[in-house]
Amino acid sequence: MFVQFFGGFLLNKGVVSKQQLIDAMKKESTAHIQLGTLAMHASLMDAQQIEDIRIAQTHTDKRFGELCVEKGYLTEEQVNELLASQYPKYLLLGQILEEQGVFDQATFHDLVKEYISENSIAEEDLPLEDGETVLSLVRDYCSDLKSSNKEYQLSYLQLLLNNLIRFIGGDFTLLRPVIRSTSYPTQKFAAQMVTGSYCLTSVLDMSEEAAIQFASRYVSEEFTTFDEYVQASMEDFLNLHNGLFNVNISNSYNVELGLEAPVSGEKQAISGGAHMYIFPALFPFGVVNIVVSEM
Amino acid sequence: MLLKDAKILIGDDSILARKQLKDVLSSMGAVNFIEAVNGKETVEKYISEKPDIIFLDIIMPIKDGITAVKEIIAEDSSAQIIIVSSVGTQQQLKAAIEAGAKDFVQKPINAEQIKAIVSAKFD
Repeated sequence: MFVQFFGGFLLNKGVVSKQQLIDAMKKESTAHIQLGTLAMHASLMDAQQIEDIRIAQTHTDKRFGELCVEKGYLTEEQVNELLASQYPKYLLLGQILEEQGVFDQATFHDLVKEYISENSIAEEDLPLEDGETVLSLVRDYCSDLKSSNKEYQLSYLQLLLNNLIRFIGGDFTLLRPVIRSTSYPTQKFAAQMVTGSYCLTSVLDMSEEAAIQFASRYVSEEFTTFDEYVQASMEDFLNLHNGLFNVNISNSYNVELGLEAPVSGEKQAISGGAHMYIFPALFPFGVVNIVVSEM
Repeated sequence: MLLKDAKILIGDDSILARKQLKDVLSSMGAVNFIEAVNGKETVEKYISEKPDIIFLDIIMPIKDGITAVKEIIAEDSSAQIIIVSSVGTQQQLKAAIEAGAKDFVQKPINAEQIKAIVSAKFD
């Protein structure tokens, strides 16, 4: 899940634009991590050495690893270890941005170090993305957001990110949460209320074009127009997510929450409760807004 | 009874969930489907159509699935009701079984799980 936050980190730093990020995310599924990226991340090579190898590659038909060994930057064993290693997915996103000329190798390296340091991520956690570290990222992400129950709010958001990754895809960046004090004007939306001792209204809202792509991914079927199945897909995702949230709360806190049947519509103003937040997820096909309003 | 001869009632407010269930059951040979979009309609269609098996959601408008199970069981204690819901808490499971449901499937719909339940009831 680090990659979803890394994109937001780059946007907040002002080093990439939304469009550059979208272009990079579109390439994520077909791009491959390079040895140079891995070597730099493991602090075995610096940006200048990687540049040396890249220049050398233009003069000879040799692989990157082979040249690194020849120049004494890496041993053969290190090359093999790097190629077999797991790596955090945001390295690939950063590499694509670097290839697109958004920033250079040295800046990429510094940004990664800064991201790790800011979020207190332990090096050994990076490929594994363990629950505690991810929860810490989620906690930081919504540290400024008031809630009637902070633990439930964190649980809701962490599950939401997991469900987006699981059912729609991991190629998104979580943008900064927006605090909303007035009503929220929707586009195409599905809404559902969680009832009981923790009461909230959840809204899944996006443009018509984004909804068509969202539904196509959710159902693994190609939709071309906004129809009742696209609308039902949005309701279904929300219903599934909220149902799983209630299960988690029941299992973790022994508290039973209720659910109303989901509804959908368009261009309506959703009134806010005591705490109303918008969590925008930037996908290559558009922004998916998840609005959560606690009563 | 052969599955192709069975009358199957699907009570779910989601057109997508109904389609997904029909797709799984059709792939097994089922052809005779009745659909209902809320708990009230499910009970009404049970009484009028007397289906051989019912797949029922819990979170539905007008009348929820648990209430619908109770009303159907009051009408016919042998009704074969399978709950298919996104809310799979122990309490919901208990409430569904106590109301008379025969099985409980948590969404998202798992085709293999549906097939196993149906295979045990039909040839």
